[in-house]
Amino acid sequence: MTATLTTCPYCGTGCNFYLLRDEDGRLTGVEPAGNHPTSRGQLCIKGWNAHAFVEHPDRLTIPQIRTKGNLQPVDWQTALDLIHEKLSGIAEKHGPDSLMFLSSAKVSNEENYLLMKLARAGYGTNNIDHCARLCHSSTVTGLVETLGSGAMTNSLSCFDETELIFVIGSNTTEQHPLIGSRILQAVWRGAKLIVADSRKIRLARHADLHLRHMNGTDVALLNGLMRQILLEGLENRSFIASRTENFAALEKSLAPFHPEYVAKVTGLLPEQIISAARMYAKAEKAMIVYAMGITQHSHGVDNVRAVSNLALLTGNLGRPGTGVNPLRGQNNVQGACDMGALPDVYSGYQRVSDPAARLKFSAAWQTRLPEKPGLLSTHAIEAAAAGKIRGMLILGENPMLSDANQNLVRQALEKLEFLAVIDIFPTETAQLADVVLPAACYAERDGTFTSTERRVQRGRKAVAPPGEAQADWQILCALLQRCGVKADYAEPGEIMAEISGLTPSYAGISYARLDGNGLQWPCPDAQHPGTPILHREQCARGKGRFSPVAYRPPKELPDASYPLLLNTGRTGIHWHTGSMTRRSHLLDREERSAFVEINPEDAEKLQVRTRQQVKISSRRGAIQAAAKVTERVPPGQIFIPFHFAEGAANALTNNALDPESGIPEFKVCAVRIDPC
Amino acid sequence: MLKRLVERDIYDLLGRIADSYRLRVPGLLDDGTRTLLPWDGQQISLFGEPPQRKPTAYFFPQTDPLLKIDPRGQATPAAVAEKPFALFGLDSIDLAALAFTDRFFSNPPPDDHYLRRRNGALLIGLTGYAGPSRGFLPLVKGNCDLELIACGEYWLARAGCKSADHWLAHYPPGDQEQLAVLQRESAQWNHRAAVDVQQAMELLRQDMVPDSFWEEIASRCILCSGCNLACPTCTCFCVQDRQTATGTVRSRVWDSCQLDAFMREASGHNPLGTEALRTRRRIYHKLVADPERWGEPGCVLCGRCDRACPTGIGMFAVAKEIASRFAISSPD
Repeated sequence: MTATLTTCPYCGTGCNFYLLRDEDGRLTGVEPAGNHPTSRGQLCIKGWNAHAFVEHPDRLTIPQIRTKGNLQPVDWQTALDLIHEKLSGIAEKHGPDSLMFLSSAKVSNEENYLLMKLARAGYGTNNIDHCARLCHSSTVTGLVETLGSGAMTNSLSCFDETELIFVIGSNTTEQHPLIGSRILQAVWRGAKLIVADSRKIRLARHADLHLRHMNGTDVALLNGLMRQILLEGLENRSFIASRTENFAALEKSLAPFHPEYVAKVTGLLPEQIISAARMYAKAEKAMIVYAMGITQHSHGVDNVRAVSNLALLTGNLGRPGTGVNPLRGQNNVQGACDMGALPDVYSGYQRVSDPAARLKFSAAWQTRLPEKPGLLSTHAIEAAAAGKIRGMLILGENPMLSDANQNLVRQALEKLEFLAVIDIFPTETAQLADVVLPAACYAERDGTFTSTERRVQRGRKAVAPPGEAQADWQILCALLQRCGVKADYAEPGEIMAEISGLTPSYAGISYARLDGNGLQWPCPDAQHPGTPILHREQCARGKGRFSPVAYRPPKELPDASYPLLLNTGRTGIHWHTGSMTRRSHLLDREERSAFVEINPEDAEKLQVRTRQQVKISSRRGAIQAAAKVTERVPPGQIFIPFHFAEGAANALTNNALDPESGIPEFKVCAVRIDPC
Repeated sequence: MLKRLVERDIYDLLGRIADSYRLRVPGLLDDGTRTLLPWDGQQISLFGEPPQRKPTAYFFPQTDPLLKIDPRGQATPAAVAEKPFALFGLDSIDLAALAFTDRFFSNPPPDDHYLRRRNGALLIGLTGYAGPSRGFLPLVKGNCDLELIACGEYWLARAGCKSADHWLAHYPPGDQEQLAVLQRESAQWNHRAAVDVQQAMELLRQDMVPDSFWEEIASRCILCSGCNLACPTCTCFCVQDRQTATGTVRSRVWDSCQLDAFMREASGHNPLGTEALRTRRRIYHKLVADPERWGEPGCVLCGRCDRACPTGIGMFAVAKEIASRFAISSPD
């Protein structure tokens, strides 16, 4: 038996565990790392089952090319040559910006770096993005503007010393279970907990205050809290004076948000708003925790600005037990952003539009680089549907289930002249590809992953990949070489050496230093111990900037034809599009098929019982799912998880995008329910 | 037969055992936790925290292929390694856990698959001053083939059964007086959680714990299933069938009674349909049902569920809460 220490492939918490392998080379199980600062001998149910999908018979094991309509096995050379021939052919004929590259928050930092290098240096386009577009692009845009850095400001250990935790739009015990449990432990230690979520999530059972505000009314709620704080003189005047700018504009913008108005917009009582404001502002150390409930709106960036404004107003920044704490969803979504798998930045958020940054990367990569920022992934799907994007390479993503408005995504992918997909399973997206390459999964390759608290950690190879599958970094090196870009790394550690040479926040990071508990960036030199708390003396941008926001309702609200509000998200059992968890026996057995949460009041009106199949329709599509009658959702709202291909929530969702971050409004659209 | 061994004798003994067994010895993992790993002839961790991975996992792994069914319907049992396991470094608690699962899987009808691995395996206890920071671990009463008792600079060694005597034959005799001292110390040794667990058992048996308590405990649960997966006496498994090009592989996989699907019927109805019922079952089964069935509780006091639980509702924590809240205080 061997025990290989690695980083969990699921959420961004950054737990570590041992993959256990028997003498025959089979994975037999998982054991949590007992002394790791995040896992501490514990895991969630997905972590305990993280070995289960690795050896599933559905794994892709051989490259395939579409011939006469069907995917047929070929050798690697043929498959890679074809990808390069098609992508370079399209770039030559229609220009490099007719290509799009989608990277993945499931692959390592090294692999994200190589894919952005491939897009930029190999094919000459900044059209590279990844699924952060669908989760925390609002955070990156909003917090860069207000604080200068788009990452979680504090560390998970801060939960152990805070006085109050304000959780808004994060179902933490299900989506980041080992952070959720830390919040609960803080509550039992005596910390106060405010939960703002329309659903009765597990955390709400333990909250001092549960605000069930209507989906999409976060700006009104947060502005209402800030107005009340100012009214009662509970703001931190010295912090505002010494550490912030633009306060006067904020103050002015809050005038309309008196409690009665906010109550009317949010569906709360005025007293709830007043007591939440007092509770938050009176705490000496308060943390705000948020996730998709804040970001996935057509006004997601405004929501993030409002969150940031609230922390600045009360001086809850730059100290232990405080901060603006976006919880990153995927195990490497922080790293994929850090590595520049984004259309406007290289690694370390160095702008492609900045001539100095461009010069630096051009010199390192020995090639000319494009200066025009590329397309957001959500815009690229629209462009593909319009015939403007013609070739696409998708690495480890499944937009057919994860993007809003599935019909549009299908239309876009089908219209492409050429689609290549690199993945571990034959996903719904891979089914549409012209070439499918089999990749090694997390257990089969080395690399680093950056958790939500900016902790860069090793992932280690425990078993060999199945069949002919190869590590993504090896596949990307083969494509880089075909583009004439030097890529002769012997191992991922050499790629990290290149990354740290070009990326100031990772400059002190090397594989040798990552054994143990990893390092939290910024880590600017080889002696630097890492940075658990950002913005200590001053914000990354200098002064923290108040960025006033006005309330804008969601793009599509219930009406007479579509009378219910659809909220979408994940459950604690499954992961995203289910490609891994639905192939893990215990997880699959726990939640077997698509379901829709309906409040008992609505169920009675609709004459629907639990487990009855119902049809749910929006203006964009219709699906079937089993009803689950529950008070978890408020009357008038239904909730559908997006894990299930056979009842795909994203066939219904609205691809109304935030004008700045391009994130779709996954949390609000209008639907109706009919009996099947 | 009592023998006296010095450190190099231990390596000599284990070296001979490794010739005919798949020997597992305590080693330190990258994060400093201890676990039983294959011996590469290197330094062995001779004292410290009990190995984190439960010892029963060697005979009943988390995922365990049982048989393969070919397309003609012919079933072939999964191969089991020729050499049996020898596990070195087990304390009295882990040996009690192995005895518990041995009895469970041997009870008619016996579990052939478990016994194919377990039969012929060698269990080697490591007791005495072999705990964390060379703290004391009580001596074992049977339950193992060999026992090494750490006494500081040397070890006393004894065989748990006649058939294991030959392993120790050529070592010099040990000091019986010293053994008697350690046995007295063992008799006085008290587990930190034993009183709470005993008291909780009594209170549960007397039906003194209201349903509202289980609702409260269940509300803290985040459904990780770690309590079951870490528990060395949990034996529940479910069956996984995977179709491959060459047939179907049937495996068993550790299950958890904390999951909704554990008892869910095909109709969707669930006789253990609430988290409160499932939490109650977890504790009740170990502390009430097991004593009725086997004459002893299903909790061997290893503390693994308390470590694995992210929200502090492992066995010790729950027993403590039951004991402190529902015990009828004495009249004085």
